[in-house]
Amino acid sequence: MAVDTMTASPALVDESVPVRYAKAGAVFAALGLFVLVIAFAVVGGDDKTLIRFDKTLTDVEWAMPTTVVMAVLGALTAAAGAWMLAGIPKRRFKLVSAIAVTAFVFSLLFWAYSQPGTVFRAESILAGALFLSLPYLFGALSGVVCERSGVINIGIEGQFLMGAFTGVLVANITGNVYAGMVGAMVAGLLSTMLLALLATKYQVNQVVVGVILNLLALGFTSFMYDQLKKAEGLNSAFAVPTLSWGPLADIPVIGPVLFQQKIFVYIGLVLVFVVWFLLYRTRWGLRTRAVGEHPAAADSMGVNVNRLRYWNVTVAGLISGFGGAWFTIANSLAFSKNMTAGLGFVALAVMIVGRWNPLGVLAGALIFGFTTQVARDLDASGGSVVPGEFLQMLPYAVTLVVVAGLIGKAKAPAADGVPYNPGDK
Amino acid sequence: MRLELKGLTKKFGSFTADDDIDLVVEPGQIHAVLGENGAGKSTLMNMLYGILTPTSGEILIDDKPVSFTGPGDAIAAGIGMVHQHFKLVGPFSVADNVQLGREHTQGMGVLSAKAARKAVLDVSEEYGLKLDPDAICEDLPVGVQQRVEIVKALSGPKTELLILDEPTAVLTPAEITELLQIMRNLAAAGTSILFISHKLKEVQAVADTVTVIRRGKVVAELEPTASEAEMASAMVGRAVTLQVDKTPAEPGEARLEIKDLTLVSDAGVKVLDGLDLTVHSGEIVGLAGVEGNGQTELARAILGLVKPDEGRIAIDGKDMHGASPADRIADGLGYIPEDRGRDGVISEFSVAENLVLNQYRDVPFARRGAVNSGAVRKRAVDSISEFDIRTQSPEEPVSALSGGNAQKVIIAREFSRPRRFLVAAQPTRGVDVGASQFIHSRLIAERDTGTGVLLISSELDEIYALADRIAVIYNGRIVGEVAPDTPRAVIGRLMVGADIAGADDTAPASDDDADQTDEEANGGDR
Repeated sequence: MAVDTMTASPALVDESVPVRYAKAGAVFAALGLFVLVIAFAVVGGDDKTLIRFDKTLTDVEWAMPTTVVMAVLGALTAAAGAWMLAGIPKRRFKLVSAIAVTAFVFSLLFWAYSQPGTVFRAESILAGALFLSLPYLFGALSGVVCERSGVINIGIEGQFLMGAFTGVLVANITGNVYAGMVGAMVAGLLSTMLLALLATKYQVNQVVVGVILNLLALGFTSFMYDQLKKAEGLNSAFAVPTLSWGPLADIPVIGPVLFQQKIFVYIGLVLVFVVWFLLYRTRWGLRTRAVGEHPAAADSMGVNVNRLRYWNVTVAGLISGFGGAWFTIANSLAFSKNMTAGLGFVALAVMIVGRWNPLGVLAGALIFGFTTQVARDLDASGGSVVPGEFLQMLPYAVTLVVVAGLIGKAKAPAADGVPYNPGDK
Repeated sequence: MRLELKGLTKKFGSFTADDDIDLVVEPGQIHAVLGENGAGKSTLMNMLYGILTPTSGEILIDDKPVSFTGPGDAIAAGIGMVHQHFKLVGPFSVADNVQLGREHTQGMGVLSAKAARKAVLDVSEEYGLKLDPDAICEDLPVGVQQRVEIVKALSGPKTELLILDEPTAVLTPAEITELLQIMRNLAAAGTSILFISHKLKEVQAVADTVTVIRRGKVVAELEPTASEAEMASAMVGRAVTLQVDKTPAEPGEARLEIKDLTLVSDAGVKVLDGLDLTVHSGEIVGLAGVEGNGQTELARAILGLVKPDEGRIAIDGKDMHGASPADRIADGLGYIPEDRGRDGVISEFSVAENLVLNQYRDVPFARRGAVNSGAVRKRAVDSISEFDIRTQSPEEPVSALSGGNAQKVIIAREFSRPRRFLVAAQPTRGVDVGASQFIHSRLIAERDTGTGVLLISSELDEIYALADRIAVIYNGRIVGEVAPDTPRAVIGRLMVGADIAGADDTAPASDDDADQTDEEANGGDR
């Protein structure tokens, strides 16, 4: 039978045709109205939000009328919601969503900093945000390397604990803080090596292994902590200096944020781009992504799937172990029991928000770092109307929204967590 | 390249998948390997490609013995393989899929996108296989994905032998025609081809030599001029009649009535567009059409897996609006799904468990919420003998069965309870000749007991063999209902929406449809 078509695909969806997004639209409209109500009914007409550049331009202070700014931002959010309800071209949806979310978050910020006695110290807060984003960044990058290879690493929390503990211990023994960092990396590597072995050679359920490894790390470090308390000078705090880049550090905003930080910040930022480059521009990256997406395809082209997975997961432990050192060495703290407080799990959320992409991970980590910093700052000043805990909740809300697929589908590598046997389809 | 297999044997435990296989592929020859599902064809190819290691015997390339420890060795030796299940990384571009495992780098392991693109273009130009190196594979139609696989296989350092494992299983008729032409061109250019298939027509059309394998042994060496019946009986081991015997249908009252059924996909496309269809008791209505024109959605809507946006479905005169799939099954709907692995069986479950999946809640298989394993086992033993399911025991997981036998499990399950209406979607897809014949005769027998049958098939041969009436679906509508003796050319035109004016009044021709057809014709060689 001669037919001159290949497939009768239905007409493609034209991305410029308006589509109604009822749920997203209603949510944004409600959020916008909420902000408008707060702006006019709760916030006093004379309230001002103060913004100060506390490190470079100490004499500059911007006083913004809170009601006006909030009203504008609230109207923006509500308008975005209304547009979605009425029908919006598909290709505009993501951008408008992003604008609406940003406007809503900023309106909350303006409200939170509108009380007398609270000042938005822009430079301190942004610099702190970058610093606080690091544990998420290191944890999520380690997760990206593992999951892109097809192994779920739910044990980041455990690798953090091992790194935090070993970092301090090695620094105390050697008297060298940098040796401590290397020790933290090795501790992370040993943790993930166990995961890699169990996941590839013995094909044990990776989530179960990860959970067990977390508990193992918690038990081990807690036990060792109690032992170390008996000995003098094995768990003392070590610090790394803050690097100041001379005149660059005096540039307003950029200076304090980027050029007056600890070495952890620079390693983290460089690592983002290095991992991105390795994943998307090198032979190793192509094979790694193939192994995580369709191991049988990689196998059929002569790639040794389980060997590649084994080494990738093992090496990823260097990153999460180094992230562990952040908790102790970067914060100039001694080790204490369970000091990572679940941030390793948040790092997993950051990895999902970042869609398994190092650049996305950077953005996600910065959002988490920023809200953590703002919450801490508001708590410290004590004069906020929006409870700090509420702001701290926001990143998790964002994670839920992203995972629920409202803003876009976060798609995991297809073979993530699936063991591979040569010959599988 | 001259390839020779000498006494190649593969054992899995006590099971011998391939037993003492001898085979010679001469340079530039298309050598077909015919065999039923489970005959050992795929095992043989996996040994040739280094995925499996032979238990004994040897592989000779140009008279020199070789041994492969992995696909990498086979590729290096000049063997390329197109797998039955595509080995393409969906989110990767065509160029990345082709270069995987032998990447083009600019030193230090850094990829060279330019070199990778050029390599694809060079190969596709050399063999006349048009491809866009930057296209993302998962967005491509199946036929083009296969072209990517072929280019990938040809892109080895010196590919001289191409293994095609059941390459036509997923293709539309037009794509098959194109593939066969590609194979002829490759062979003419000196590439040797090993063509694994169980479709006799295709083998006759392209092969130079045919080797038939049954139960792991070479049972015949045939010329492609051998008749279909000759090939089929060699495969099955007994005489096979390819024609299905049936008496004229005696249609009774309507068992399935569909009026104005419309279903809009998530992407906002009308996948079913005001579809009307009626099937009576005692008749088989064959639904012909190019895949992707709404067949899948229609079957799922009848079962109740998707909720239509408009229109009405009545089974045996009873409106099914709001009825769950379980309700419909209880009301006498039988359903043979097109995707066996996804909708038909739970492959980790045993044969016995799968056989009662549609009635595990009913007496005698369950009492007060507890499964009566004795009754389940008895049913399994009965069904296994009645439907000739080749399994080692009722406790064996379905995943260990060949495709044809897994399909028989589904058929046995659907036929083991009283039913009024049956949807059979692609009932013999991936099923060998012997099992197909059996399934066809069961469908006819089913019709003769008064059940109404809707047969959805992408193979016109199957529709011609079974249907008492043929409905043609195009873009979510029935564009024609014709008698079973209508010439292929007429149905072929209906299938691509070319002859809409000639159809009955359910589908008036409109300008939209005409435009659509043009667009698709032009987009055919994307």
